[in-house]
Amino acid sequence: MLEARGLTKKFGGKPALQDVSFKLEKGEIYGLLGHNGAGKSTSLGIILGMVEPDQGEVEIDGVSVQHNRAKALRKVGAIFEAPAFYDYLSGWDNLKILMSYSGGFDEKAAKEVIERVGMTKRVGSKVRTYSHGMRQRLALAQALLPEPELLLLDEPTDGLDPEGIKWFRDFILQLRQERGITVLFNSHLLAEVELMCDRVAILREGKRVFEGSVKGFQNELPIYLLEAEPQDIAEKFLKNIGSDLLGSGRITLPREVDPAQVVEGLVLAGVKIREFAKVRRSLEDVYMEILNGAGSPN
Amino acid sequence: MIFLQQLQGELRKLFARPRTWMGYGAFVAMEALILFVYKLEASQQRMRGVVERNGLEFNTYYSSLTITFTIMLLSMFLLGSIYFALVAGDIVAKENEDGNLRMVFARPISRFRLLLVKYSAVCLYTFSFVFFVGVSGYAMAVAAVGWEGGLFVLEPKMKVFAAYPEWWEGAWRLALSAAGIGISMITLSSIAFMFSCFKIKPAAATIITLTILFVDMILQGFPFFKPYESYFVTWRMSAWVFLMEQHLSWPKIIESYAFLIGLNVSLFTVGWMAFQTRDFKT
Repeated sequence: MLEARGLTKKFGGKPALQDVSFKLEKGEIYGLLGHNGAGKSTSLGIILGMVEPDQGEVEIDGVSVQHNRAKALRKVGAIFEAPAFYDYLSGWDNLKILMSYSGGFDEKAAKEVIERVGMTKRVGSKVRTYSHGMRQRLALAQALLPEPELLLLDEPTDGLDPEGIKWFRDFILQLRQERGITVLFNSHLLAEVELMCDRVAILREGKRVFEGSVKGFQNELPIYLLEAEPQDIAEKFLKNIGSDLLGSGRITLPREVDPAQVVEGLVLAGVKIREFAKVRRSLEDVYMEILNGAGSPN
Repeated sequence: MIFLQQLQGELRKLFARPRTWMGYGAFVAMEALILFVYKLEASQQRMRGVVERNGLEFNTYYSSLTITFTIMLLSMFLLGSIYFALVAGDIVAKENEDGNLRMVFARPISRFRLLLVKYSAVCLYTFSFVFFVGVSGYAMAVAAVGWEGGLFVLEPKMKVFAAYPEWWEGAWRLALSAAGIGISMITLSSIAFMFSCFKIKPAAATIITLTILFVDMILQGFPFFKPYESYFVTWRMSAWVFLMEQHLSWPKIIESYAFLIGLNVSLFTVGWMAFQTRDFKT
């Protein structure tokens, strides 16, 4: 559905993206992660044709954004963090204006989408009177109106309350189920990405340093929570057996090491164990490993 | 059809903003002020002197048409230019500053087409504003001195003198000159529009445009530049006064308007090229 190949971009001589590639299959939800300045927004800018890459190309459904932007974006919807509408106009007028750039405004379709995002009562009010959550719902409506096959979400849940975040997540997942829509989800809310995405890529300093499936890393090397003292003896023992110390008492063990033997070894070394439990490997663990340099670039 | 929908949306945005209406309010106030001055005895005596020195009858030319012409002559370049520069300077730069452009760029519209829509809206605004000033000025003048009377035209800088004793002839010439002013003022809007396409603040686009206009006007007034006056934009923009001449000199008028249209196309092209090569980060 979307293929980014070798994206490279410099701003003022400073590299923002270095040979970044990724591919989204139809119906997939793909997360793009990274700290501020990692290159997520630049990637999205290139995908939408707002930023011209120094090298590389993006194709949406086989059409190059760089060579035929208007055709490539015909079935694309996008939502940005803090969407900037024309505040002095109503939500309805905003939709009309934005849809005029997408081939025309269909009143019936607009009413349906507005109802679906729960904005029927307020769509006639000026946008300046909307809360952040309502703006995001209107943003969702404008993104859904061209009946997109690809949705680009740039930090869409930033600033939303927990209820709003859940509503948004459920909405997107339902859309995928109903229409088989493909989603590129750009965020730094790791828990959200983990709950929504099938695959993720992590960017660091403009380079893709990881790509993998969410289920895949959840089933990878398990993580253990260990609370023991004295800490220095425990750490020395763990390092000797090849364990990675992830911080906050979280450790990994080499595959060949039996956890029971680790406990036995620690006790024999004079360590008092207060807690030892297997925990689920989260996206946050993977993310921290990668950004701390523990993970191997993919 | 889609272009018209897009243009309608652009005009909806333009006229929904309070600053677009500021100019209309300012001109109505100024027209009222000019009419008040025209009603003063001393002012009428002064005008009587000018008209009668040219062998014409004061009562025929102390009219709503003459007052409307004076309003347009005196105000459009100095006061109108501020609002044209303000609106055209905002049209792209303000949307970029407010972040609206990134919502638009998520749509399948080319940058050229987007600019064409915006430029068309600016041209329509400029043209309609000039006609608003003419119509509202005339309406107020009719309320003050009645609708009858001819049109007296005196513009020393461009060396234009004309008198139309018949109302219909004066009205026709006034309408024609309003169209001429509209096209002339589009040049000013085009300068502001071009700067608006650059990576600058909207206020900067407005100020640079006004600076260019005023510097052009000042330099044009220097005796040294007299032989070169036709190269000045403001001189060409004043060509609308030639539409008031008793015998229309079409080659002179067409030359000036061809110059202005060529300049407008060039300004749009430069703005488009600057806009086309810019990166807009999300």
